Amino acid sequence: MSVFSGNGYEKLSINADTLAMLEKARRDGVETVWDRLAKQQPQCGYCSLGTSCRICAMGPCRVDPFGEGPQRGVCGADADIIVARNLARMVAAGASAHSDHGRDILETLHLVGEGKTDTYTISEPEKLRRLAVEYGIQTADKSDQQLAAELAWEMMEDYGMRRAKLPLAARAPQARQEIWEKTGTYPRGIDRENVEMLHRTHMGVDNDWVNILLHAVRTSLSDGWGGSLIATELSDTLFGLPTPKMSQMNLGVLKADQVNIILHGHNPMLSEVIVAAAQDPDLLRLAEAHGATGINLAGLCCTGSEVLMRKGIPMAGNHLMQELVIVTGAVELMVVDYQCIMPAVTETAKCYHTKIVSTFDKAKFPGAQHISFDPEHGIEIGKQIVRLAVENFPQRVASKVNIPVEPVEMMTGFSIEAILQALGGTPQPLIDAIVKGQIRGAVGIVGCNNPKIKQDLGHTELTRRLIENDILVVVTGCAAIADGKAGLMTPAAADKAGPGLSAICKALGIPPVLHLGSCVDNTRITVLAAALANALGVDISALPLAGAAPEWYSEKAVAIGVYVVASGIYTVLGTTPPIFGSPNIVKLLTEGLEGVLGATFAVEPDPNRAAVLIRRHIEKKRAGLGLSALLPDSIVMPEAELALV
Amino acid sequence: MKTVFVHPERCIGCKQCEMACAVAHSQTKNLFLSVFETPAPKSRIHAEPGLLLNTAFPNKCRHCDPAPCMAVCPTAAIRRAADHPEIVMIEPRKCIACGMCAMVCPFDVITYYAAAGAPGKPAIAIKCDHCIERQRQGGSPACVEACKAGALQFGEINELVKAARTRYSEAVSVAVTQVSSELSALPANVVAWRQLGAEITHLNADGKKGA
Repeated sequence: MSVFSGNGYEKLSINADTLAMLEKARRDGVETVWDRLAKQQPQCGYCSLGTSCRICAMGPCRVDPFGEGPQRGVCGADADIIVARNLARMVAAGASAHSDHGRDILETLHLVGEGKTDTYTISEPEKLRRLAVEYGIQTADKSDQQLAAELAWEMMEDYGMRRAKLPLAARAPQARQEIWEKTGTYPRGIDRENVEMLHRTHMGVDNDWVNILLHAVRTSLSDGWGGSLIATELSDTLFGLPTPKMSQMNLGVLKADQVNIILHGHNPMLSEVIVAAAQDPDLLRLAEAHGATGINLAGLCCTGSEVLMRKGIPMAGNHLMQELVIVTGAVELMVVDYQCIMPAVTETAKCYHTKIVSTFDKAKFPGAQHISFDPEHGIEIGKQIVRLAVENFPQRVASKVNIPVEPVEMMTGFSIEAILQALGGTPQPLIDAIVKGQIRGAVGIVGCNNPKIKQDLGHTELTRRLIENDILVVVTGCAAIADGKAGLMTPAAADKAGPGLSAICKALGIPPVLHLGSCVDNTRITVLAAALANALGVDISALPLAGAAPEWYSEKAVAIGVYVVASGIYTVLGTTPPIFGSPNIVKLLTEGLEGVLGATFAVEPDPNRAAVLIRRHIEKKRAGLGLSALLPDSIVMPEAELALV
Repeated sequence: MKTVFVHPERCIGCKQCEMACAVAHSQTKNLFLSVFETPAPKSRIHAEPGLLLNTAFPNKCRHCDPAPCMAVCPTAAIRRAADHPEIVMIEPRKCIACGMCAMVCPFDVITYYAAAGAPGKPAIAIKCDHCIERQRQGGSPACVEACKAGALQFGEINELVKAARTRYSEAVSVAVTQVSSELSALPANVVAWRQLGAEITHLNADGKKGA
């Protein structure tokens, strides 16, 4: 039976833990994300195509895609303008989310600089100094605290309007920066581009759909080479540089005899202190007094990736597991920060003993207990939250507990620094392997789960097809969790790769699928691509690279997709953004961008077909660099098994 | 007799029935692919605005019996389906696009467009077929499935009429006696929204104001 087929719950996920918990959810009478998706069917066609506009009160308006009904909104906007404005606002929302996450980390660095926090310190002084030099700060004879203060001050300027160019964007190859200058898309200030995007998409401002989309590119670049990159670099500086280590994934990481705490969200500020608090001897004694043998932490989504990469904390699951992890009945407390946390989790928790604790004042959840997080006194708040979990252990109902599977081993911790170290200090061995053709190229598989696609099928099938064909895969976010659960991220998984990639993985002791972190850490991929391009003296778009987001759902993913393409990397999406209502924009994004940015988007839900699109692209780029290459059309395109969704 | 029953007071004018109808009658049956089809698929249901702002009526073939369109069709292109005699169908290949059926239609819901079922013809008569293909597979009409506001219901007409009648008698009694609005069949926010629409309509209709 093909992985594409299935009856009942098997249509929804490839994972045994998901299927077991869906059955338990049905028995327990708990509604899940899949139930709600079914109730929403059919979903609004105007909104799916992007031709509905609710920007102003002359509307809401919609354009009939079949040509009979209205072709313009009340203001006169046609399908092109409406689709462009909607897409641009998605980019702005996504870029704002990442960048505001970066801002919170930056404010923490500022607190460290001012000596106003009892919780955080500089964990990576060397990285701090490297960043300070990059920002033109004199580092000689300065303490870490002084440098933290000065770097924080400089980076705050990145959010403002005094810069003509974001300093971190200078990491991109010269040729790439020239494209950004020529097209007017070089990012200036993070908040500035986002605010200007909202201004431009107000009624009656920017009505040239190409011009709107160019600024959407600039906005996304202010994320990829600004907000997200600041989040990654400063998280490394404050919380430690990820290094390779083994850990575990899936619902089997929950422990039947311990207090289970789920860390859900994106921002590591909070999850770091929970990790510290869970080791507190008093709390461990309290756990024992309540009959537990210990305190077990497990991650979910990107905050899980942050503590997995740095601390090896195991991962309970990805986006679509957030309700099902509660359905195990084994979770004492889920602590959330922000982003991708479904409002549904508090409803699910009501059916079990699980407590939900929200922590950021910008992200409150009806039905959750709110404990306002204060980075000046983080550790005390961390202990307070862990104590709540421990005290909730006696409320656990043994008959309701079901931890359905054994955990799967995986390797994590591949920061760029760690990858370079694994390669012996320089990217040259990787470049040599690509030149020789042992590795055909590299692909970043990133993004979310989306219940419209069988959970993890898109990620894992695409990954398998690529590594089989000697393409190195790097993963972040929920895609990384999918591949980890599927057993593709152990050094032993090298056996699943083609002969060239397999030999290299075995020589270095690494998996063929490398975990680079959370979704803000997609910047590790673009920065690594820039470093490779700089080493070869070419633009990123000349390299045999591609990106894929097989199961994306969020606005953040749209921002990522746009900055990845604008950085010169061909990207295949598994679900479609709401653009099909404008054939002009579909053509621009899938063909026209090639001449402007040297890269395009493609939409292909079927992972086996997406793999062929990517392999053809990689061979084309190899030929362009004068490397040994297959004829792209000699790679046969299989029949679609998964339809456009 | 099964039919698509319309509750006009529930229609919020979203036009999703039109979209779903066009996709259901496309060649690919897929929203994203159907927008690129030639000829473009057309909706057979038409959510047209009422007299007052914020009101609308989803108008479609009522499958009359006897059907005036069937009586006037000179080529016998309009007939009843053998397995679903309650459904009036148009045979695309027999249609000569004379326009007679549209002229006699009491609801003005027959339109003329090129259709995939009649290759080579610039236009043929197009109207609701009650999604007979979906019904044959145990499904319901696409417009009904798409309506999230409960304006369109599919079922036995007498049962649907009775349900509507009972609700109306309650609502009408409220209107007549002007007792508390909580007894109304509509949520308070929808009542307020309709009232606002009525006020705006009356304001604009008053030729004296602002003159």
